[in-house]
Amino acid sequence: MASPFAEAIGDFHTALKMRPVWMALAQEDIGEQHRRTTLGPSWLLINYLLLVGTFIVVFGYQTDPRAFARYAASGMLVWLYITDIVTLSTSLFVREASFIKGTRLPFSVYVLRLLMQAIIRFGYMALGWAGIMILTGAPVSPGWLWIVPALAVILLATVPAIIVFAVSGAFFPDLQFIMQNLVRVGMFLTPVFWGMDGRIAGLRGHLYTFNPFTHFLEMFREPVLHGTLPVPSFVICTAITLALWPMALYLLGKTRRQIVFVV
Amino acid sequence: MSGASIKASEIGLTYRLMRRLSFARGRHAPVHHRVETEGRKQFVTALDGVSFELSSGDRLGLIGHNGAGKTTLLKVLYGVYEPTSGSVDISGRVDALFNINLGFRQEATGRRNIVLRGLVTGWKLDQIEARMDEIIAFSELGDFIDMPLKTYSAGMSARLAFSIATSFDPEILLMDEWIGAGDADFRQKAQTRMRELTEKAGIIVLASHSKELLGRVCNKVMTLEDGAIKSLQSIDEWKAAQ
Repeated sequence: MASPFAEAIGDFHTALKMRPVWMALAQEDIGEQHRRTTLGPSWLLINYLLLVGTFIVVFGYQTDPRAFARYAASGMLVWLYITDIVTLSTSLFVREASFIKGTRLPFSVYVLRLLMQAIIRFGYMALGWAGIMILTGAPVSPGWLWIVPALAVILLATVPAIIVFAVSGAFFPDLQFIMQNLVRVGMFLTPVFWGMDGRIAGLRGHLYTFNPFTHFLEMFREPVLHGTLPVPSFVICTAITLALWPMALYLLGKTRRQIVFVV
Repeated sequence: MSGASIKASEIGLTYRLMRRLSFARGRHAPVHHRVETEGRKQFVTALDGVSFELSSGDRLGLIGHNGAGKTTLLKVLYGVYEPTSGSVDISGRVDALFNINLGFRQEATGRRNIVLRGLVTGWKLDQIEARMDEIIAFSELGDFIDMPLKTYSAGMSARLAFSIATSFDPEILLMDEWIGAGDADFRQKAQTRMRELTEKAGIIVLASHSKELLGRVCNKVMTLEDGAIKSLQSIDEWKAAQ
């Protein structure tokens, strides 16, 4: 039997070549969630604007409202993307049971399909984000280009994260509900809308520094707000990504043959 | 088409019955296969030492009680399960018709499902588009083709599934008890198509409880019991033994 890594890489490689399949399935997912609705996927945009708008109204009075709007909008954009990934991936293989038991698609097809789905959802929210940037007169500078590597790292971390959550969720179904709760609490434990004033001492400081999600948020937010690259956050996120990949490949390779029996 | 073949040698499939790591204890799906306990671990032997060879034009019927391993064997041949021992050598493009709920999207229209199935089987969009009208015509679904699959009757779903699976030129077709759902006319059409497929040097493996159906379609019959081959006979031997 091949090593778990070789098996997982083979699985992933085959899946990459099946791009039309996961693209079509991802489109299907987005369409299906909004079938029979009038506004369709625009609801994703509305959800985002409502959430960010609420935070701006409730917390924006204490500081520069425009800067706060940009701070909260950027933080929320990345946070909601993370939320999507975490909650959708724990139940991924169970939701796909019909295809897993009825076809021989590589498992990575489902992973890439979820990634695609999350990117489409991110795209709709990014429209709202861009609107807020324009309305608040954000000073666009060359420093904004740091957004590109930031998004690249986020993307590269997403794939192994989906694999780890999806495999764990298949063997440990309760994880789905644990993560749902953690994510709900996580919005407050992560500096999505607080921390702009720099008052991050004490417990808040620890939450800020030792929360890995902070750094994924800051990596995107700092270029937007200050046009600079947050080097420490960048290093931390890259390290997390590099650690996630071997873990994900090992888990996938090790459990690939058993998944069909547990979902 | 250059002659399909299947060579299975000593296939075994044993899997561990996962006591899912869950806070919810003590719920187990009933299993019909052989369950062995080793310490706290439970293992299910779903297939045990299954060997056979099929070549162009063969139509193998699988018969046996529920849980004898018919579907499991089909899924091993299709590649959904990987055997834990032995090996399967298959040459030829394989398509399979399992339970209609497997590998179809209930929310999507019939037309969309044709596209998805085609992509999953490895065809390109233009190739699928080229076959679309023929598939729809064969399925006799008419305007229903643009309705979601969940609105279909069991027979309509089966017709669509059969039309799709047989339209993408499979050289080996695996079928699991699908035919009960179609009406008499469609069954007739389906049989004609299956005959054409085997005449083009294809192979059919069909699991069914219907002896009458196996008698009409197959040239070999394999009787499975507890995951092992009880007998593998030509259709005449099998009929004589009934």
